[in-house]
Amino acid sequence: MNGDNKQNTPWLCDKCKKELVQKKVKVRYLGGNFEVELTKCPECNMVFVSEELAMGKMLEVEKELEDK
Amino acid sequence: MDLDKLLETSDICIYDEPPACTSCCPVHMDVIAFITEIEKGEFDKAYKVMEKRIPFARIIGSICDHPCEKVCVRSDSGGTVKISELEKAAVRYGYAPPKKAIPIPKKKGRVAVIGGGISGMTAAFDLDKKGYQVVMYEKSDRLGGKIWNYEGGLKKEVIEEEIQALMNKGIKVELNRFIDKKGLEGLIGEYDAVYLGTGQWEEELQIHPETFQVGNTSVFAGGKLSNKSCSVIFSASSGRRAAISIDRYIGKISMNASREREGSFETPLKYETEGIQPVEAVRKASDIYSKDESVREAGRCLKCRCRKCIESCSHLTHFNISPKSYMRQINQSERIILGTHYANKMINSCTMCRLCKEECFKDISMKDVIQETRESMVKRGKMPVSAHDFALKDMKFSNSKHFSMVRKQPGKAEYLFYPGCQLPASYPEYIGEIYKYLVSKINGNVGIYLGCCGAPADWAGRQDLMQENAEIIKETWEDTGKPVFILACSSCCSIFEKHLPEISFVSLWEIFAQYGLPHNNKVSPKHSLSVHDACATRHNKKIHDSIREIAVLSGYEIQELKYSKERTKCCGYGGLVYYANREQSADFVKHRIEESNNDLLVYCAMCKDLLVDAGKRTFHILDLIFAEDMESVALRKMPTLSERHRNRAQLKIRLLREIWGEEPDMELEKQMDFRMIIPEKVKQLMEDRYILMEDIEKVIDNAKKNKERFFNPQEKSYLARLRLDNVTYWVEYEEKDEDILVKSVYSHRMEIVEE
Repeated sequence: MNGDNKQNTPWLCDKCKKELVQKKVKVRYLGGNFEVELTKCPECNMVFVSEELAMGKMLEVEKELEDK
Repeated sequence: MDLDKLLETSDICIYDEPPACTSCCPVHMDVIAFITEIEKGEFDKAYKVMEKRIPFARIIGSICDHPCEKVCVRSDSGGTVKISELEKAAVRYGYAPPKKAIPIPKKKGRVAVIGGGISGMTAAFDLDKKGYQVVMYEKSDRLGGKIWNYEGGLKKEVIEEEIQALMNKGIKVELNRFIDKKGLEGLIGEYDAVYLGTGQWEEELQIHPETFQVGNTSVFAGGKLSNKSCSVIFSASSGRRAAISIDRYIGKISMNASREREGSFETPLKYETEGIQPVEAVRKASDIYSKDESVREAGRCLKCRCRKCIESCSHLTHFNISPKSYMRQINQSERIILGTHYANKMINSCTMCRLCKEECFKDISMKDVIQETRESMVKRGKMPVSAHDFALKDMKFSNSKHFSMVRKQPGKAEYLFYPGCQLPASYPEYIGEIYKYLVSKINGNVGIYLGCCGAPADWAGRQDLMQENAEIIKETWEDTGKPVFILACSSCCSIFEKHLPEISFVSLWEIFAQYGLPHNNKVSPKHSLSVHDACATRHNKKIHDSIREIAVLSGYEIQELKYSKERTKCCGYGGLVYYANREQSADFVKHRIEESNNDLLVYCAMCKDLLVDAGKRTFHILDLIFAEDMESVALRKMPTLSERHRNRAQLKIRLLREIWGEEPDMELEKQMDFRMIIPEKVKQLMEDRYILMEDIEKVIDNAKKNKERFFNPQEKSYLARLRLDNVTYWVEYEEKDEDILVKSVYSHRMEIVEE
């Protein structure tokens, strides 16, 4: 799931006014836990998910897990 | 789920059953494969198909007494397909000498074959192939028996070549050896088994009709001795079947096991003959069909196979699957412990309309199979959440305080008008009118009950939610004095029949037909409509009749569709397919629309929604009763998913104020302190991604209050997210003064742990 989140994102965290950083983030679905590299605010930890990622790779993985 | 029962049902499906010609043929020539090759002009391949089943195909193919033709389904539509003539053509244009077989060691035993006619030759040929050392005894000076009677039609050289080919295999042939009863006794002692194909014998023999064994001896008899006829093909078949018995006898294995369909049998296959266009048989210009004539004659074959349910169902067509293989796939899917359930999407793409059962000669209902399967998937935790989540949440909304309510006149209610959830969403403006009409026409206490019957839960296999919902409806029914329900939705009717049999109901359409229309002086332009009946009430004749009556009362003429009433088709919404597989849902609408150029008349809100969305001029029965301008409603765009929620919520508020004079709970009218501007493009995204206005509002509200959002300084836009229940919604927006311009929306189900 990594890679789709653009590294040089123009987005900032509106609350902390910080630039976003790439970090390993825990993701859960249907009892499964994974770690993926995503973009997030270094201060408040709010994670950024782009439309491309949500509707692409993420949706694909969700469907795969649902059929397991 | 009872998988044994499932497999038993799959065995009933006749999709794989052979056509009558093949099952009647005692050696089961694959007639469809044969004809298909001829149609392609591939005579050599057609001959190969013959050779696979017919012994001495060059001979028998030319003289076969073709019992297959007597049972040909084409016989009543221009005459039986001339299979025997086509075989002759295949022999003429497609024969190639067989490849030399690698001789196998003859180690299994010794068998004597008495009589060198067609049955004996077949038995000898087959036994040799199975690895027996075969010795033939023939009383005359040549093999072939009555095959020689056909000399003339059959070239002498052909017969000689075929006999020579048999002898070349290493089968020992003793000509001019007459074997009588006494001689047979000698051979019994000498060989492991004896085949008797002499046509005549000194005494009556007790020949088993299936195994051809004589008593329980090592003697087997076929040909004319067992068939009592001169049929060439039955002779060959008896020799072949006796050879199988001899192999089993010598190998000391069961003589009877799994031999049910060895000889000629009646196929369970049924083939719909309605609508077959008669085509006369092709005449031959000379003594044998030319290649061209053969191709044309082959074209008359119907290639009988039962595809009735598949042809009428967009779902079975989409997955190109017969109920038989469908059930086998479900069986596999149910047995998977670790691995991917590939059949899930298919199982959630059935509209559960039960047309398959109407079409089926064997009454197989895939709806019932799918219902059980979905329930089993839910129980095992294997139902993909995303398939039905939106619909189930929609049901929850309809049964929440935002929509659900019960009101009646003082005292015991005699009737309770229950319009369901989708009709008030599509036609909120008519519900009050209908209620007033009911009160004015019906003598007695008429109440109103808003809510959802539970159909989404039933379709989703969620019997827990279904039962819970049915209990609530039952309690309301008891609390209001056990009134008769007036139902306006066909899905409600079928849910009430299935889960609430104690509640009696009448359809709203029957009431209109019985009490007359509210505006019966309305003038309508007379034109023809075709009724697209609702699949959920395919067996409710009263509803079918009432709808047609109302249409006629409104000045319309009805032209019935091919698939109507009990054979009606689903619009593509049923079974929640609209949510689980949009592409499949679209197929249903497309196929339905292609059926007629007429405007359609429907009485289910979702039918209207889907048909209009696909561009088909469609009237809801309520349009006929209440609409002022028919042209404007024919293609009126139906409300979006968000509007459906809002319509329901506002209907409740309006009814409370206007009819019951009540001020609704403040919370029902709660408004956000910002206004959203949503461009058409985004509205479409919301529909495709099942995102509601209220979801977006909550995301923005949270973003504004808690600053939980990202900011893009270049674009001056915000991106905010909020997890609501099991979905995270994302909204990209710009703030324009007091307004919010929504630029995009999306969601995901995965949960991201922010730590």
